[in-house]
Amino acid sequence: MSPSTSYAQRLATARLLHRFSFGPTPGQYSEMLQRGLGATHELVLQHGLPDPALDSLPSLNLPLLGQIPEAGSPDAASFWSTIFSGQTALISWWLERMVLATSPLEERMTWFWHGHWATSVDKVIYPLAMQKQNDTLRRYALGNFSDMARAMVLDGALNFWLDNEENYLSSPNENLARELMELMTIGVNNFTQHDVVAAARALTGYATNQANGDVTFDPAQHYTGPLTVLGRTSKLDAPSLVSLIVSKELNASFISKRIWFRFVSGSTEPPAALARSFGRRSIFDLVSALVRSDAWINPANSLVKSPIEWFAGACRALKVNPSSLDTANLHWFLSQMGQVPFNPPNVGGWPYGQAWLSGSVFQYRFMVVEMMLASGDLSPLSVPQSEMVQACADWLGVAEWTARTGNELDAARSNPIQMATIALLSPEYVVSI
Amino acid sequence: MITCEFDRRRFLQWTGASLFATLSTSLSLESLASAASSSPLATNAQILVIVTLYGGNDGLNTVVPFTDPTYQSARSNIALSSSQVLPITDTLALNASIPQIKALYGQNKVAIIQGVSYPNPSLSHFSSMAIWQSASPTAALSSGWIGRWLDLQPHSAFNAIGIGSTLPPLMVGDKSVASMVDIGAIQQPWGPAASQLPYLGRTSPTDVPLGAAAATSITDFYTTARALGPLVPTSPTGTFLDEQLSVVSTLINANVPTRVWEVNLSSFDTHVGEQADQNALLTELDSAIGNFMTSISAGSHPNDVTVMIYSEFGRRVMSNAGLGTDHGTAGPVLIIGNTVKGGLYGEQPPLDSLDENGNLKMTTDFRDVYGGLLEDVLDTSVSDIIPSWKTSLSVL
Repeated sequence: MSPSTSYAQRLATARLLHRFSFGPTPGQYSEMLQRGLGATHELVLQHGLPDPALDSLPSLNLPLLGQIPEAGSPDAASFWSTIFSGQTALISWWLERMVLATSPLEERMTWFWHGHWATSVDKVIYPLAMQKQNDTLRRYALGNFSDMARAMVLDGALNFWLDNEENYLSSPNENLARELMELMTIGVNNFTQHDVVAAARALTGYATNQANGDVTFDPAQHYTGPLTVLGRTSKLDAPSLVSLIVSKELNASFISKRIWFRFVSGSTEPPAALARSFGRRSIFDLVSALVRSDAWINPANSLVKSPIEWFAGACRALKVNPSSLDTANLHWFLSQMGQVPFNPPNVGGWPYGQAWLSGSVFQYRFMVVEMMLASGDLSPLSVPQSEMVQACADWLGVAEWTARTGNELDAARSNPIQMATIALLSPEYVVSI
Repeated sequence: MITCEFDRRRFLQWTGASLFATLSTSLSLESLASAASSSPLATNAQILVIVTLYGGNDGLNTVVPFTDPTYQSARSNIALSSSQVLPITDTLALNASIPQIKALYGQNKVAIIQGVSYPNPSLSHFSSMAIWQSASPTAALSSGWIGRWLDLQPHSAFNAIGIGSTLPPLMVGDKSVASMVDIGAIQQPWGPAASQLPYLGRTSPTDVPLGAAAATSITDFYTTARALGPLVPTSPTGTFLDEQLSVVSTLINANVPTRVWEVNLSSFDTHVGEQADQNALLTELDSAIGNFMTSISAGSHPNDVTVMIYSEFGRRVMSNAGLGTDHGTAGPVLIIGNTVKGGLYGEQPPLDSLDENGNLKMTTDFRDVYGGLLEDVLDTSVSDIIPSWKTSLSVL
């Protein structure tokens, strides 16, 4: 540790890079320690610039497929093979972007929103519809939440996932209406069953094309009478329903708490000022306020990295492109760790915190490390042996090793692969301490 | 899961895993006892196996009031016909997709507790499941009911085990958490760091609480891997739930010192196309339970195992036009075992006296069900686990 750098600065810098940038690239942590916290805020908030690393990636051109063929029909085998290879390609495409992005905030926020509007390809089936949803989430990832919510309520994958194609005038289906309020906009206990019934009526008349994710509106199938939602009575369709809900103060506290929960801590509460920064529903304003807050020096605000966040961070540190790894094995390991992009376990999104700290996840983390280290760049450990342990912390963005891990790293100085294995599996790297 | 069989097979080849049968047959009680850091399960120690059905299983199409005219009229598009049910009384029948559970019922080994829920039921999956798993209807407790039982036990990685890779909240206590066993192979790390990695499982005085938890999970992995690794099938066959329960019965029969197991099955959220989906899931449940009870009955603890099957809620009495049902409230809890006093418990909630949302009114509080299991199976007073709750429903 250089004498000019305080532990608080090391902690805050490491947290910002891990939580908003999928972890530092080699040398980046040391550089940002030199340049200071203000510069780190600017770095992690950077977005919207052209990124040659992403622009040079091959684009993903998923085919438009027809209806699901009858089981056993002559077309079934090729249909399902195209579906499954498309799903695999979509997952790989996104992992590559997370790892290669020069300024990863947009991908990081898209990843957050994917968990927030959690939709699973397991039910949607068509990867094209999931890609379209992903594009929408990325477009609004740092934009206006009201715009995002209006776009998402007309997203085909979400509508199909939450059964809105079965929501009829004569027989409402409450699934989308309920989850829209409970999980996506204002939170549980902030609405009544009457609000759900009315919101479900506002969501009638929308037809979903499962194959391409388009949603079309048929006014003849839409409920046109006045509806009372959250105490206000008016005629409502899907976008105006969303505007009404999002305009409530509850939305600002709910979204700011969700962001705090996933980026800062599951055990501390956000300050009231955070919700105020979301007054205009600008996601960037909220994220910017959070990045510039003093949350990062509070020792209580440690957070377990989810398997994808841990994996993307390790790839960035090792300069490993996910596409260079064996796809079948990688996706198998991710599914065994419980986190495959586009396939959250349910509409509530991914687990958090200690749920990722099971022995089983440890076993598959090791297998991923083993696979990555076969091609990983370990040159940051090419320093005199007496400096290797500190160099390892600075390379991976770890504020400080405990004596436990420090001792094991010290004993592994003769073999960089051995040292990197220990470091990447250590509690100090698995958790953003 | 996206992963197809091909990937699984490839994975097993890649890890050099061999077939379960070749590993397990030579395993003796002595080798397990020496591999485990703990002594084997005490004779006559009772074991609870919890089966969580995620998504809200439709209780009315599981335990069916098939002669009630309101049942047929309120959900005419998904009501089961007389050929789709197996009657157990003049007015109640089981869904014909669970014939093995029906056969066990006929042997008085299945307690069906009717109309189970809690006051002011939540229609949210998440809130309702959190209430069931914490045993706290006001959501006042964040720990799980089995987690709090774990807190009262001497620490051991074996006290309670969940099958899968992420811990369900019911098994998280204030001080202790259950261990997890994957249904895939347990494979210890190899390579140059292999001998050092177990030392990452020691907590350090400067660990933050989550860092200490990460360390503990590493120790728990090595503890379970040493003891259970040789027993876990590396190439499971059958359906998802059958795989999970076959791991559990294998480990119970090998006297692993574990008192509580948890397995789970998802996708019961049948807002659309309910009949086909629910019947397929119930078929999976039925064959897994049937195989499990066969294995337990032939094993070393035939009279020590009690299975509880529950879901976060039942579903709306009236079906929707999508041939499905929306979220509901009370539903049946099934308790199965060779020493269970089989039969019907509680009252079937009437279909013509619903709450303001068109849902069933509960007749049995779920805390009474837990109370019976805590006292009869886990030797623990219900009030030690569920604050200010004193009553229990005994089915053993």
